[in-house]
Amino acid sequence: MRRQLPLAICFVMGVSMVVQFFIPHRVSQEFYRTILDWYRIVFAFSLVLGTGTLIKVHWAKISKKSKGWQYSIITIGGLVFMLAVGFITGIQEGTLFMKIFEYVEVPLEATMFSLLAFYIASAAYRAFRARTVEATLLLIAAVVLMLGRIPFGYYLWHKIPGIAEWILTNPNMAAKRGIVIGVGLGMISTALKIILGIERSYIGGGK
Amino acid sequence: MNLSPDPWVWLAALLTLCIYSFLYKDNPFYKAAEHLFVGLSAGYFLVIYWYNAVYPDMVVPLFKQGKLLCIIPGLLGLFFFFRFIPKVGWVSRWSIAFYIGVGAGMSIPATMQMRILEQMKGTMQPFFSLETWHVFVENPSLASFGALIGIPLMIVGVMCTLSYFFFSREHKGVLGGMSRIGIIFLMIGFGASFGYTVMARISLLIGRVQFLMSDWLGVID
Amino acid sequence: MGQEWFSLDRLNVLIGVVVYTALLLYFIYQAKKGKELFVRKIAGLEAVDEAIGRATEMGKPILYIPGLSTISDVATLASLNILSKVAKKAAQYETRLIVPCTDPIVMPVCQEVVKAACLDGGRPDVYREEDIYYITYSQFGYVAAVDGIMVREKPATNFFLGMFWAESLILAETGASTGAIQIAGTDAISQLPFFITACDYTLIGEELYAASAYLSREPLSLGSLKGQDWTKLIIGGLVLTGVILSTFGLRFFANYFTTG
Repeated sequence: MRRQLPLAICFVMGVSMVVQFFIPHRVSQEFYRTILDWYRIVFAFSLVLGTGTLIKVHWAKISKKSKGWQYSIITIGGLVFMLAVGFITGIQEGTLFMKIFEYVEVPLEATMFSLLAFYIASAAYRAFRARTVEATLLLIAAVVLMLGRIPFGYYLWHKIPGIAEWILTNPNMAAKRGIVIGVGLGMISTALKIILGIERSYIGGGK
Repeated sequence: MNLSPDPWVWLAALLTLCIYSFLYKDNPFYKAAEHLFVGLSAGYFLVIYWYNAVYPDMVVPLFKQGKLLCIIPGLLGLFFFFRFIPKVGWVSRWSIAFYIGVGAGMSIPATMQMRILEQMKGTMQPFFSLETWHVFVENPSLASFGALIGIPLMIVGVMCTLSYFFFSREHKGVLGGMSRIGIIFLMIGFGASFGYTVMARISLLIGRVQFLMSDWLGVID
Repeated sequence: MGQEWFSLDRLNVLIGVVVYTALLLYFIYQAKKGKELFVRKIAGLEAVDEAIGRATEMGKPILYIPGLSTISDVATLASLNILSKVAKKAAQYETRLIVPCTDPIVMPVCQEVVKAACLDGGRPDVYREEDIYYITYSQFGYVAAVDGIMVREKPATNFFLGMFWAESLILAETGASTGAIQIAGTDAISQLPFFITACDYTLIGEELYAASAYLSREPLSLGSLKGQDWTKLIIGGLVLTGVILSTFGLRFFANYFTTG
């Protein structure tokens, strides 16, 4: 029950999904859709579990008065507030829930995302300092592509956009294809080992 | 200057500044924004999944339409909560196994299709084309030369890159040479990806600065 | 909606899956019989022990990010296999391991994996469930929190292994700014350049999937690695055949690889 049943479930579901891929019959398609629906429902339950651990971690900080415990109040407060608002007002346009989403979450997401502009600059600087042949190649390709995408590149030398395009569609494509094929083989191999129970660390107990 | 009167815009702007303050160093403003972000977003997803998945796909079919099959995902979901009781926590492995099995099973044929066969087909191009040769001979230029050597270079590149991922042999001799060339292709490819992304990332920053300057401060139109 | 019981335009996919599975099983069988198998050196994986040792010497924790994807993403599963090996070593060295998760299903799996690894390492007492927790499913909410962990807990070693999107650079640069030794690995091609520039070691694409076999040296996993290599040879041969035929205007062979 503890070890064999999970392995059996994994095997049966894995093989079923592989077989399903090759069957266009409506029964098979219906099965696929049902599994995807179940997938979302099970995920929703796991969100409750996850949120439970989040509360546990922050509650422990508050009760032990650990360093920065005051911020944990903000997390738990924000969580409880969002849940209350969501279940009271619903999620339609114009509700307080959606307002919070639009004016608090979206700006926070967008701002975190935009930090990349600063970090990409520091990463470029790091690449500039590297003194290996590989790093130099990376840098040259990056500079050509950067210049190729802005008008300044064209003014510098009108052939730069063409060269950038050529790098993208030839050497870059070659590297991508090589990686993708290798990754594909690795993915299938890992998935197979999991379905067959060769890799089973997810059920605990190691070997 | 035409400051926004909307308190929601003020809130969004202040939170934006709190996050940017992290670039200087970790500070109470960032910590507060970060913890608020975590709490609100965790709550947001719970509510959204209730309204968009559990209620329409389980509660309604099970309790209003009598579709008993919907008990299965409900049970699989409930098994997760056994983790709160250490003695029977192992029951949650059943749900985990279901999830992993489905994911692994779906990925096998899809990966073979998209990541292997399609890529192989894409690489099977004519090594030499009379058409591009004629163009090059009639009009020798950087562009026509690029078109002439582009495809052969791509084919060689795929082979060499693939050889870099050979694990069960020492990279010596022919394999060593090929994998060295493979590394060159990889680095050019990574550089191209890097350069290609830079402008997109800068435009994200421009978007936030625009919000602060236009929507909040009203300094620019 | 279809009425057929087999999709003929996916026959080539079926052949591919069957041939590859057969090859893998053959080499796994060979490995089981005790055949000696060689694996070339992978720098990023050679550094794993050193990275864990460094954290132990400095008395600081290890941060392990299993990617931001779901448990059904094979990259996540590959990452969890590596987590198992890292957790075992960390347990033996009594070094704290922090695993924040963005996917609520990945979290309990990580807990199972680390718990089992501590047991395997003979140190079930050092398992700390409170260090493996869910943060939020929001991509950048999670990143904000992990950045916070990096600057406050100051881990000596950061592992970023699994599937990553745009956040890869934010994580890697923040980690680099704290002076941590960083080992990354992903199959997300667009994120690899950022890991390469900001991390000390990067596992590129398939190396992520080979890592488990490399670290464990278990014959069954090594056997599958050999099977992967043989399949690459076959792929190379088929591609070359397709290229030659296409050069002479014969596209029929390449068209066999069109999938529905």
